[in-house]
Amino acid sequence: MMTDLILMLVVLTNLKLLASSELGASIRVVAAQGVMLGLLPVLAHVHDLSLHFAVLAAGTVALKGVVFPWLLFRALREAEITREVEPYVGYITSILVGVMALAASFWLGGRLPVSTVEASSLLAPSALFSILAGLFLIVARKRAVNQVLGFLVMENGIYTFGVGIVAEMPFLVELGVLLDAFVAVFVMGIAVYHINREFDHIETNRLDRLKG
Amino acid sequence: MKHEALLWLLILVPAATGALALLLRSARTILGAMCAGVGISVALGWYVAGKVLVSGPVSAGADWLYLDALSAYNLGVMLLIYGLSSAYAWVYFGAELREGHLTLKQARLFASLWCGALAAMTLVFVSNNLGIMWVGIEATTLLTGFLICVHVTGESLEAMWKYILICSVGVAFAFMGTLLVGASTHGLGLRAPEVLLWTTLRAHAALLNPACLKAAFIFLLVGYGTKAGLAPMHNWLPDAHSQAPAPVSAIFSGFMLNTALYCVMRYVPIVEEGTGNTGWGLRLLIGFGLISILVAAAFILFQHDLKRLLAYHSVEHIGIITLGLGLGGLGTFAALFHTLNHSLCKTLAFFAAGRLGQMFGTHDMGKLAGAMRVAPVWGMGLFGSLLALIGLAPFALFMSELQILKAAVDNGAILALVLFLFGAGVVFVGALGHAIPLVWGKTTSTVQPVRAGALETLLVVVPLVLLLVLGLWMPGPLQTALNAAADIIRHVDPVSAVSPGGVTP
Repeated sequence: MMTDLILMLVVLTNLKLLASSELGASIRVVAAQGVMLGLLPVLAHVHDLSLHFAVLAAGTVALKGVVFPWLLFRALREAEITREVEPYVGYITSILVGVMALAASFWLGGRLPVSTVEASSLLAPSALFSILAGLFLIVARKRAVNQVLGFLVMENGIYTFGVGIVAEMPFLVELGVLLDAFVAVFVMGIAVYHINREFDHIETNRLDRLKG
Repeated sequence: MKHEALLWLLILVPAATGALALLLRSARTILGAMCAGVGISVALGWYVAGKVLVSGPVSAGADWLYLDALSAYNLGVMLLIYGLSSAYAWVYFGAELREGHLTLKQARLFASLWCGALAAMTLVFVSNNLGIMWVGIEATTLLTGFLICVHVTGESLEAMWKYILICSVGVAFAFMGTLLVGASTHGLGLRAPEVLLWTTLRAHAALLNPACLKAAFIFLLVGYGTKAGLAPMHNWLPDAHSQAPAPVSAIFSGFMLNTALYCVMRYVPIVEEGTGNTGWGLRLLIGFGLISILVAAAFILFQHDLKRLLAYHSVEHIGIITLGLGLGGLGTFAALFHTLNHSLCKTLAFFAAGRLGQMFGTHDMGKLAGAMRVAPVWGMGLFGSLLALIGLAPFALFMSELQILKAAVDNGAILALVLFLFGAGVVFVGALGHAIPLVWGKTTSTVQPVRAGALETLLVVVPLVLLLVLGLWMPGPLQTALNAAADIIRHVDPVSAVSPGGVTP
């Protein structure tokens, strides 16, 4: 039951991100999404909670809820940019695309050949929707920070998938994945900072000197 | 027991060297320590790889580390390229140091990331756990990101941003694929630590869920294919290759792409057996290979920048390797052989492009005209490697491409054969049209002729001689190694003993 609630909230936060016009708000929404997903494995295994899941949940919540937003807010502050999202694709269109992606996710999620006996039937669709929404945010927004957010949403989608479908993933692998996500955001944060210093702003549509 | 420890050392030595580089206080010492660390890794790696090829797979750490013929062969080639490139980095950054273009901080950044990337790539080859293999690939992406902008400029930042973002998204897809492979083991009753072990999956391949496996392979191919530079996911590649310092471009093109392709190779036998040996996965490989060859051919015709030209050559050759893998049989053997040839040739080409770029201050092919007169050694290196790259006999690349053609004929894949020949023909004409004026044309610049040192001459001569020798004669041990590695991918049965002339009994 709680699992379903969280998954519904994840879908809603994705839609909110597609409509959001302010970068700071987007960062907070992604952070909230990360925290909810971090709690997901704990709630799914509430009866047989092992140290494995507890450590993983703590790590995920700490990284996605605290460290990532902090890094991104810092990048935003150092870049001293206006906080508008500046989309290539307008907000209304984005929402429409989102709704279509949601429909596609439900259709595809139902057909995906994975047995989700123990997990919620919402799991595969909401995971796929996060992946699609993340990809859309990467291609349809100019701001580098926003592209990092898109990457995080996509990563969240894959994480959702992993929690529900491959519950027996070895601990070390999960730890490695979490570490990689951390370094990815860290590296991207530094890149945003450098790009800003060089170009005076971080609109990636100005990154067009290399062609052909 | 001893060999198990060596597997750990293979990862630890470069990682420790990278950490050491952060502590040293002179740029020269840092580069020296880097070369020494890489040298030790090369010696260790070749020793272990030789052991594996002679006496079978080695594993360590509760089977999480594992080296068989396929990974040993790839590891050996990677270390060869890394060794050459490190020696070249000594020359290349030595020149920058003399002219004051490299600060201590940049040298530190370069050396530590360079060694870190070696550790990450080694991790990819020695890990038996497909999840850890993925972690290694992602770590490679993140570590090499900053290598592109050792010298921070607008262009190099742009290239780095595209590289990190596109490859991270691609590699995330590969992770989705890895998860789906894990999901395909449902109902087999495997214990958690075993689920993603390659050896376990290989042993149970026939029992895996085929639909899951198919979905997984598509994600894996797109994901790792992005990192390997397969078209149409190659957009980051020309930018990153052209903006990175030459030693980094050499590693990118020479082996980082192959590392990602190696991950695909690992999955091929599992997917083939899991889907009932119908050749479903192989056909996908053929498709991606051909698209890459054709796209690269189109872009090669219109290049002005030398390093971008070489980058598109990488897309073409990765396409050829993928095509060979897809054809199976002799094609698999030839694809692995082509890996070695392409890596050697492309590193040499980037070495030459980098040094010539330093002398002329540009990579524009119009301005580099007459390079042979200004720098005979590097001019010869560039010309030789370009000729080899377009598949001129008797270089080794010609031999491996010929074997792939033969595999296509054997398979009756006539459409693939025609498209491959068409692409290769366009590349031949296009690249030759660039190469001749580049090397022999009238000099437009006022650059003074530069003499090359002994080490530089050696860096040109060794790859060229190797390419020539391998084109004419294949040493027995190499052939054994290639066959053993190819048998791991071909999975069904050792199709045929292959001789270097491409004659199958």
